[in-house]
Amino acid sequence: MIDILSGYTFLIVAFGTVILAFASGIIGTVSVIKGQSLIGDAVGHATFPGIVIAFMLVGIRDTLSLALGALILGIVAFLTIQLITEHSKITLDSALALVLSSFFGLGMALMSFVQGNPDFDGTQGLSDYIFGQAAYMLRSDVYLIIAASILSLLIFSLFYQQIKIYIFDPIYSRSIGISNPLMNFMVLAITITLIAVGLKAVGAILIVNLLIAPAVIGQLWSDRFLNVLLIAGTTGAIAAFIGTYISTAGDDIATGPAIILVLSAFVVFSMLFSRKGLLRRSIHRRKFGERT
Amino acid sequence: MMIEVLFVLIVTAMATSLLGVFLVLRGMAMVTDAISHTILLGIVLAFFITNDIRSPWLIIAASLVGVLTVYIIELVSQTRLIRQDAAIGFVFTALFAVAIILVSKYAGDVHLDMDVVLMGEVIFAPFNRIEIFGLSIPNALWQLSIILLINIAFVLLFYKELKITSFDPKFAYIAGFSVAFIHYALMTLVSVTAVAAFDAVGSILVINFFVAPALTAYLLVRRMGTMIILALSFAVLNSVAGYYTSLYFDLSVAGTTSFIALITFMIVFLFNSNGWVSSFVQKTRQKKQFNRAMILMLLNEKSHESLTQEEIMSHFNLTPKRFNRHIDHLLMNEYIEKHNKNYRLTQRGVEFTHYTRIKYELPEMNDHY
Repeated sequence: MIDILSGYTFLIVAFGTVILAFASGIIGTVSVIKGQSLIGDAVGHATFPGIVIAFMLVGIRDTLSLALGALILGIVAFLTIQLITEHSKITLDSALALVLSSFFGLGMALMSFVQGNPDFDGTQGLSDYIFGQAAYMLRSDVYLIIAASILSLLIFSLFYQQIKIYIFDPIYSRSIGISNPLMNFMVLAITITLIAVGLKAVGAILIVNLLIAPAVIGQLWSDRFLNVLLIAGTTGAIAAFIGTYISTAGDDIATGPAIILVLSAFVVFSMLFSRKGLLRRSIHRRKFGERT
Repeated sequence: MMIEVLFVLIVTAMATSLLGVFLVLRGMAMVTDAISHTILLGIVLAFFITNDIRSPWLIIAASLVGVLTVYIIELVSQTRLIRQDAAIGFVFTALFAVAIILVSKYAGDVHLDMDVVLMGEVIFAPFNRIEIFGLSIPNALWQLSIILLINIAFVLLFYKELKITSFDPKFAYIAGFSVAFIHYALMTLVSVTAVAAFDAVGSILVINFFVAPALTAYLLVRRMGTMIILALSFAVLNSVAGYYTSLYFDLSVAGTTSFIALITFMIVFLFNSNGWVSSFVQKTRQKKQFNRAMILMLLNEKSHESLTQEEIMSHFNLTPKRFNRHIDHLLMNEYIEKHNKNYRLTQRGVEFTHYTRIKYELPEMNDHY
């Protein structure tokens, strides 16, 4: 066990995933409370064409440029979703499904173009970005994750008060001069950044779990915003560490799915045993004879 | 053989978009997203048991997992511990993660490629064929045709129930309709259709096939019957356009079709009669008409019967360019006339203001005022 814990690959991967999960847990909480959890899912899928376009422009699989491409297309997808929901009777979830799948389709079309084209080579690994390939994470990938996570957390803590007011009382926040659309965009931009840099670690589809599950756990254990954030960040980080350990110890277990499963186990545990959990609720009910 | 690809695409698009109409009306578009990811788990499990990628058990198991996903999501959100959208996101990713681990751990050397499952490729559809009555037909084509027929039969049989449960579930419940039966029957068909389609279009793009034509139709009409017909038409249109575009540029057929579906949607979104562009055009036109009417109303007042350009401009805070545009229009239509430097109403202009007052129920200007 000690062997694994001190292994170079493990340390690199674990460092990256833990920090990513911590930041995602905190930022994801905002989206979950605002009822926008699935925007992360849509944006995650929409980053695919961004990656392919970036690859076409740069010509090599350089993590930074691919992440930039993912970031830009993620923002385009988000703006498209906003345009559709604000100017028609289409609801958010329909707009998400539409944008998610058609951007992914664009990614596939571009991908088939790249693969059939002799001008581009080294495309084999591109689909890894959908599932993530944490085992092949390089030191530079981890640096990118650390930089993005620290930047996100920094922005978040700088605007902590404004974000808090914006989440819980949008009308009051507007009246004291906070721009709600700007706050919304800022939170989403941070989320998209984390998705973009986290693609290699957990992949485009599973990263949404990293954004949602910790927030759910946090909300189950506490009602105070700050506590929810801290619990979310910490459980995310712990799950990332355990998941990375499991994937390194057992062979052929991808890191992303392993982390997600550990997180999901945490969610189920919290749903049963937390302060607001089902067990407490049923005991409470039996005590007071309440029937619902 | 290539034309068979187009047929598979069209049948898939019709089978999915027919159900998509109800998914959109019920606000369940993202549930489709969840189902289309989790059916992978059913496929993997059934594959481990039967060891045959073509076994019908795969479809059955995958559909069961699809319905199970819907059930788990509902169970989780009914505890009211987790919001519905968070429940969707957390449940489907967890099940998807299990499937990926199973595939990577146990199916590494068998033919169960993740890329194919997720992305699908309709181009390969004609390679798996079957003989029916001496005719060689692609597997996907007859499978999807049967599913299309089942979906049509379902919609025709339960048209009234689907309509009432979609638009007014509470009334449907009170009126004694089995809301749960319709709901789970619909979700079962969605799962079955998604499984059958994943071969051709992949599990992510199938979402697009479900919702895009239905949403485009939803922008245009409010009646369910017309929405269904329009959705089916858009499904065929997108398929044909996507197929020929992909052929021309040598791109992934399903991917291109999905993106074309977004383009179709955006065109309708921007240019339909209450769309973005037309409402913008309408707004500017209304504003213009209102400004012109206001100038005429001003000239109709006793104290302002004859005004210079400067007076009108300062009264409405107009720029010279705007003023000229309004005045030219009014002069050309002979609502006003120019005397030296002053503008005044013509007989036609007086009549116009009279009718404008009636139209907006404004008090008539009193001559002795």
